[in-house]
Amino acid sequence: MSNPLLDARSLVKTYDNERVQALRGVDVTIDAGEYVAISGPSGSGKSTLLHLLGGLDTPTSGEVLFRGSPLGTAVNLDGYRSRQVGFIFQAFHLLPTLRAVENVQVAMLAMNSRANHRAERAAALLEEMGLKDRMRHYPNELSAGERQRVAIARALANDPTILLADEPTGNLDSMNSAHIMELLCNVRLQRGMTLVIVTHEQGIACSAPRHIRIRDGRIEA
Amino acid sequence: MASQLSFTGFAWKNLWRRRLRTLLTLFGITMGIGAFVALVGFSRAFEDEWMRLYTVAGTDIAVVEKNFINTSLDESLGPKIRAVPVVARAMPMIFNLIDLTPDVNALVYGWRADSYELDSLTMLSGRRFHDGQPEVMLGRYLADDLKKRTGDILPIQGKDFTVVGIFHGGTALEEGAVIMALDQMQQISSMQGKVTAFHVRLRPAPAGESYDHYVKRAQTEIEAAVPGIHADPAADRAANNQLVELAHSVAWGTSSIALLIGILGIANTMAMSVFERTREIGILRALGWKGRHVILLILTEATALGVAGGLLGIVTGLGMLRLLSNLPQTASVVSPSVSPLHLVESMIIAIASGLLAGAYPAWRGARLSPVEALRYE
Repeated sequence: MSNPLLDARSLVKTYDNERVQALRGVDVTIDAGEYVAISGPSGSGKSTLLHLLGGLDTPTSGEVLFRGSPLGTAVNLDGYRSRQVGFIFQAFHLLPTLRAVENVQVAMLAMNSRANHRAERAAALLEEMGLKDRMRHYPNELSAGERQRVAIARALANDPTILLADEPTGNLDSMNSAHIMELLCNVRLQRGMTLVIVTHEQGIACSAPRHIRIRDGRIEA
Repeated sequence: MASQLSFTGFAWKNLWRRRLRTLLTLFGITMGIGAFVALVGFSRAFEDEWMRLYTVAGTDIAVVEKNFINTSLDESLGPKIRAVPVVARAMPMIFNLIDLTPDVNALVYGWRADSYELDSLTMLSGRRFHDGQPEVMLGRYLADDLKKRTGDILPIQGKDFTVVGIFHGGTALEEGAVIMALDQMQQISSMQGKVTAFHVRLRPAPAGESYDHYVKRAQTEIEAAVPGIHADPAADRAANNQLVELAHSVAWGTSSIALLIGILGIANTMAMSVFERTREIGILRALGWKGRHVILLILTEATALGVAGGLLGIVTGLGMLRLLSNLPQTASVVSPSVSPLHLVESMIIAIASGLLAGAYPAWRGARLSPVEALRYE
């Protein structure tokens, strides 16, 4: 049997000298190409789990295996984040001094690619996101929905295998939310990527083929 | 064509977002490098001029007092020095820096009227001074500054001297100097029977002996023949006389302080910048930037400040030197030119300042935990 793409084993994450227990022993496996929604109330540990799956943080105990190899030891976290993972955040996290097309390129600066290749790829991704006419705009000149689309283009810049989205529609109205979710689903299908979305919106969670509920740092079902 | 973002372009945008702070930081390092270029450049040019003073006149060795601060020798040592076989000529002399007017000070030399050093000067008007007479010759720059011509009276240390000639010398030090008879200089300096140094011209070196070796040998022979004195080769004397040493000390001391302030300015700017951009650094780490990329970005920004400050500092320093070389108070000792090596050295110091100042903020930025940085408000 082949390895799952991600295999989280007995993940425990505590903060503040163990006074705060964000995750209390989480086991979850995610296969390549899967679309998984993680939901739960505020403070349930869903974002912490996403951060550990994405190599942004390390667990207090337990481990995350990527294609059977543990993150942080056999798999270098920086390399994992740059090549395998694309992050999308609720607050977009675009850099205010850079134009839309430059925000997409900044993800590729850490890779050894040529400047003109980076610019062409960023332009193509923004065009795919329907932002052909907004490339030279700064984040403060874009609507919330447009900013999130720039952030999606940025997450796709290095052609990752996993897309991790932390409340991607949390700052959007319902129309933009629907548009962003449609975009994410299309991106996953076209590229055969794995998509993991953290959300507290039941509609989004229930539309995903697989739905993980988390409460008080433990998986419910 | 979509605009391309390079690493240096990104660094530039980060610096430019806080224009005022960047410009103030730049001003600090510019002043530091400017002070270094001007002051150290001045002190080195001063040393070079001093060396030229000896080489133009044909002086090989300066005999001075051992363990001197203000060197003072008995004039009566002259015959003993002249008796050393390698010595062709040994001329007693006094020099001092004297205020001629409240605005103008100048080097004043006391030479004997038969000094070989007078042969290197070209008289532009008038004649040479005579021993025993209250007469002076003025370098042409000094004559211009003082607006004196042949026949005018110049009071020095309370005594009136007649300007008997204007000369053109081989060095800026001479062009801005006063030369009078040794006995007159001894009177106004209260140094009767004393001299600052004997300038020695050696006989030609024997065939097959290098000049350096010959001077070294002459130095040993003179010091053996006249106990209690130093026979300094001209090059050593140029570098080690009190005025040059003072100029070097003041130049290095002042420009070191200015540079330190500039370096602290860059360090403060970069530390503030990293602090303000904590969340942005977290985003970059989340996007796959390694710690070394963050270090490279911050060092690029700090080095850019250093390079820009270095270039502006060089321009400022050269401007200050030009200004000093035109002021009557300093014209006689300041040359407006500096060696290319000094400019290269200034740029290296500027770049090193940027790297040094950026090192700690860069290290701090690279150590930020991505997830902690993303949570930062």
